[in-house]
Amino acid sequence: MPGGEVTISTTDKVQVRYALSHEQVLEFYKSHFKASRDIKFRDWKAETYIEDQGALPWQSVRISKGQETVTVTITRDSWTWILGTLTLRFIGVFVVLLFLYVGMSVSGAIMSRLLAKAD
Amino acid sequence: MRIDEVWDLLVGTFYTTGIWAMSWKYPVMWAIAFFFLYLAIVKKFEPLLLLPIGFGIFLVNFPLVPLMGYTEEGVPHLIQFFYHYGLEWEIIPCVIFLGLGAMTDFGPLIANPKTLLIGAGAQLGVFVTFTGTVLAGFTLKEAASVGIIGGADGPTTIYLTQHLAPQLLGPNALAAYSYMAMVPLIQPPIMRLLTTREERLIRMKQLRPVSKRERILFPLIGAGIIAILVPAVMPLMGMFMLGNLMRESGVVSRLSDTAQNALTNIVTIFLGVSVGATMHAEKFLSWKPLLIFGLGLVDFAVCTAGGILTVKVMNLFLKEKINPLIGSAGVSAVPMSARVSQMMGQRYDKKNYLLMHAMGPNLAGVIGTAAAAGMFIAMFS
Repeated sequence: MPGGEVTISTTDKVQVRYALSHEQVLEFYKSHFKASRDIKFRDWKAETYIEDQGALPWQSVRISKGQETVTVTITRDSWTWILGTLTLRFIGVFVVLLFLYVGMSVSGAIMSRLLAKAD
Repeated sequence: MRIDEVWDLLVGTFYTTGIWAMSWKYPVMWAIAFFFLYLAIVKKFEPLLLLPIGFGIFLVNFPLVPLMGYTEEGVPHLIQFFYHYGLEWEIIPCVIFLGLGAMTDFGPLIANPKTLLIGAGAQLGVFVTFTGTVLAGFTLKEAASVGIIGGADGPTTIYLTQHLAPQLLGPNALAAYSYMAMVPLIQPPIMRLLTTREERLIRMKQLRPVSKRERILFPLIGAGIIAILVPAVMPLMGMFMLGNLMRESGVVSRLSDTAQNALTNIVTIFLGVSVGATMHAEKFLSWKPLLIFGLGLVDFAVCTAGGILTVKVMNLFLKEKINPLIGSAGVSAVPMSARVSQMMGQRYDKKNYLLMHAMGPNLAGVIGTAAAAGMFIAMFS
């Protein structure tokens, strides 16, 4: 988004402050990415999080929820996010199967006891 | 009739043929189609799918054939129709899962539920390949759909790819089914590399008998837990568990029989030919399909290694050791990879019967791959 005052500029991150409302900045990004299928908007309590799930050179744009000034943080690096989410999701697969394991073990034990009683 | 009228007629007739629109790309695609038909017919590698896929590739790679597009009035062509309702609507993979559920005996998994963890460990390659695929220049959604190939579960691969990256449906499905057929070639060297002779000789205790009540209860518990934890994948797993309940209840044998045979056979035809038909020369002849085949192989290898390593870690804590050769069966490819475990076990000890033990992680692999697919769908929703 043009204009604004750059407050941080590193190889991984750019932060810009705008003297605009959150709605105005959000409207700009929404119209800019209207045609893109790989952009997801998430409405969080303190900010709006825009995530690229395609192949754009940036990973996320965060728009703080201010009334008069808004900070927009553009993060270039997606690797922290990718590795973090992949690790979590791999653990998630274990958790799903672990729950199934517990469910099967418990039901197996109950069934064995019931059958033993019936005998 | 004048000579110029005859000439016009001849030229007009010529332009209704496909000859004038031929290009070098079509013979290349015919060669690819013949290669998969050769694998199916001569080598008998996954013939039920590679034959219709191969022929689907062959059929659509002629100029002007009205098979995979729309008429001027917007009516879908024949295979486009199958593709639209079967794959775009994600119906066929779910119906195939219904049939698979009806064919599956969960007894070995119920008797030894800790093998479920092997099925989870064998998903390692799915996540590792995701990273490699992103590095190779694919988008995140494409990377997820390529990563799932290593799970060695065709319907799940198709389901996830159609969901996230439909443009890769043909190469992904083809890579998944090709490598599933090549499990006996891919897995043994990795199994030898990651296990010691002593480990390969481990004999496992015979599995306990499983009661009918437990078998009936399993699809209900399984569906309930998966629905709560990974709801995104319930179209697949719900159908899978329904098929299994139909089988185990014993009260709807006609339905179970139809799901196992007639229904699965019918949808397999439409699935194969539709997947093959997505591979038109204009879309397929690029660097991406080649990379998908390369990454798919790495994926399979890492998934196999993940299953074996999970068993090794589990053995550190278990009194009754598990033979790590059954870890490789944690990739789905039911029952091929379980057979590979049995074959490898018998190579070192003729009286070591690992097949039923390997069926546990094999079935866990199906659930694990579906769970991983659910994780990816959730990631992008």
